[in-house]
Amino acid sequence: MSDPNAPAVIEFSGVTKDYKQGSVDVHALRGLDLTIRKGEFTAICGPSGSGKTTALNLIGALDSPTSGTVRLEGQDLGSLSRRARSHMRRDRIGFVFQAYNLMPVLTAYENAESVLALQGVAATERKQRVMALLSEVGLGGMEHRRPDELSGGQQQRVAIARAIASEPAVVLADEPTANVDSETAEKLLEIMEKLNRERGVTFVFSTHDPRVMERARRVVQLVDGKVAGDVVKPEGSGIDT
Amino acid sequence: MKLARIAWRNLWRQKRRTILTLVSIAFGGFLAILMTAMQDQSWADFIDTAARLGGGHVRVQHVDYLDTPSLKKTVTGTDKLAQLAAADPDVKTVVRRIFGQVMLSTATDSFGGGLIAYDPKTETEDTLSFLEGLKEGAMFETSNDKGIILGKKLASNLGLKLGRKVVYTMMDKNGDIVTGLGRLSGIIGTGAASVDGTLVLLPIDVVRKTLGYSKDEATHVSIFLDDSRTSDAVAARLNAVVGEGRKAVTWSDAQPDLASFIAMKVGGAIVMEIIIGLLIFAGIFNTLFVSVMERVREFGIMLAIGWSPGQVFKLVMWESLWLAFVGLLLTGAVSWYPYTWLAENGIDMTVMYKSKNVEVSGVGFDMVMHVGIYPESLAVILSAILLATLTAGLYPAWKAGRVAPVDSIKLV
Repeated sequence: MSDPNAPAVIEFSGVTKDYKQGSVDVHALRGLDLTIRKGEFTAICGPSGSGKTTALNLIGALDSPTSGTVRLEGQDLGSLSRRARSHMRRDRIGFVFQAYNLMPVLTAYENAESVLALQGVAATERKQRVMALLSEVGLGGMEHRRPDELSGGQQQRVAIARAIASEPAVVLADEPTANVDSETAEKLLEIMEKLNRERGVTFVFSTHDPRVMERARRVVQLVDGKVAGDVVKPEGSGIDT
Repeated sequence: MKLARIAWRNLWRQKRRTILTLVSIAFGGFLAILMTAMQDQSWADFIDTAARLGGGHVRVQHVDYLDTPSLKKTVTGTDKLAQLAAADPDVKTVVRRIFGQVMLSTATDSFGGGLIAYDPKTETEDTLSFLEGLKEGAMFETSNDKGIILGKKLASNLGLKLGRKVVYTMMDKNGDIVTGLGRLSGIIGTGAASVDGTLVLLPIDVVRKTLGYSKDEATHVSIFLDDSRTSDAVAARLNAVVGEGRKAVTWSDAQPDLASFIAMKVGGAIVMEIIIGLLIFAGIFNTLFVSVMERVREFGIMLAIGWSPGQVFKLVMWESLWLAFVGLLLTGAVSWYPYTWLAENGIDMTVMYKSKNVEVSGVGFDMVMHVGIYPESLAVILSAILLATLTAGLYPAWKAGRVAPVDSIKLV
């Protein structure tokens, strides 16, 4: 589901990001230009130090660029206050982290509903949406289990449910398959693909995993803070550049 | 999901640490309550004892009596003054007394003493504690009794036995020497050397006649209260009505050395309680701070998915509040039985002292120390625990809200 005419969800325009690591100046991004459109299923890959972490941090409104602009649904993230960025993350961005990162004291249901609760969605609507989502990711009947009672794959499914529960503009998935076995990884990717296909959720992965790159319909290769390759796979077969 | 519920569950993630912290809060609270209860009860008893030995919690006397006590400085119209005082809601008992210096002489010897002339019809052990210490003889039956009661050591110094005559000499209102004669009718032994060596008791009407006082004249109208803490208020109310030339003073005005001693001891105890409070504070702070530092990544995730710094701050403050709440319940639980037991049975302090009597400024301590805490003291302790716990949570909570998600998450 990569429609070149779909509205842009994420736009990087001449983005640079410099920071200090100890006494070393790091130029993580060096004029990055990139547009990700609604409904894309995109993998950002590249070697360590290529800037993919920094790019995801900027999309996630967790960091600000040194120069250039990062826009999410047309909103310049760099111009937002701390509070506005917090609201942006809550309302428009979903996160799936490598190490699941669920709140250990909350059940699967409570974790999945947490963002909706923060948004102030009514309890009945929360329940309806979250139960449907948990069922969709294959966790029906496990809603009362806490993270330590779930396998790694199940925890990651809860994280996916939490990320999409608020119907965000984009879900950022950081190495979502890194801590699970192959079979589980395939299942997780299937779930995310299905959500992308059926719900139109935009996914952006940061990954080294060839399985993710294989399933992604767009693969952006970063090297030295710039786009070194951008491959869009057409629906069905072949690779288009 | 309510913050309070998440905070409660967070608290029990490290059960051992939480339990240790709660135990330290409860133990600190228990110590503070016990120390304060001992202090409140012993000083209240001490002040009551001082009042029963002396002139009451509040006394109405000649306006200049405190500066230079003298049998010349009297108050008249004591019947009316007693009625006025008795009308005050905080007043329990009102009596009239004559205090002064007296010289006692026998055929062989002379000794000075401190005179208390009282009305045996209106006074009991509740107002004049010496009456408890009668060792030989009998108390006066009327205010015109011809007897005299002396402290044990004073009687011994004078070589007096029951029934023997003694001459007492005083200075009357005009400065003339006047004398009276009494037969030793009772001997009192309090165990306090300063009392037993100087105490002279006489019936008030006999002394009035000897000194030329009118029927309702005395040096003091002594007022006893239900609660010594109301002394200042009662004295202030009485001063508004007692009239010119008279003054209502409190036990602390009349016995400043005693009041200073108590203030010094109370001050010392407050310092100890502050130290206990700081120890509790340090324990709670440590628990909350370590707990926050262990969860930096978790807070980073929470902030990343949309929690506001304020919500994270509130979450940690809720954890702090839960600690305080459960700590207070536990304080109550561990304090209840020891408190009630000590209130009823007390601690026998005689094993700690060589003497069986300890006195300060002539006032003897009860050697069985009971406990009893004023409600306001308890409220202060419990509020201090609550405040210390919440204050200890402030910095860790602030720190949690300031976690930078980008640094703590480490998106690869």
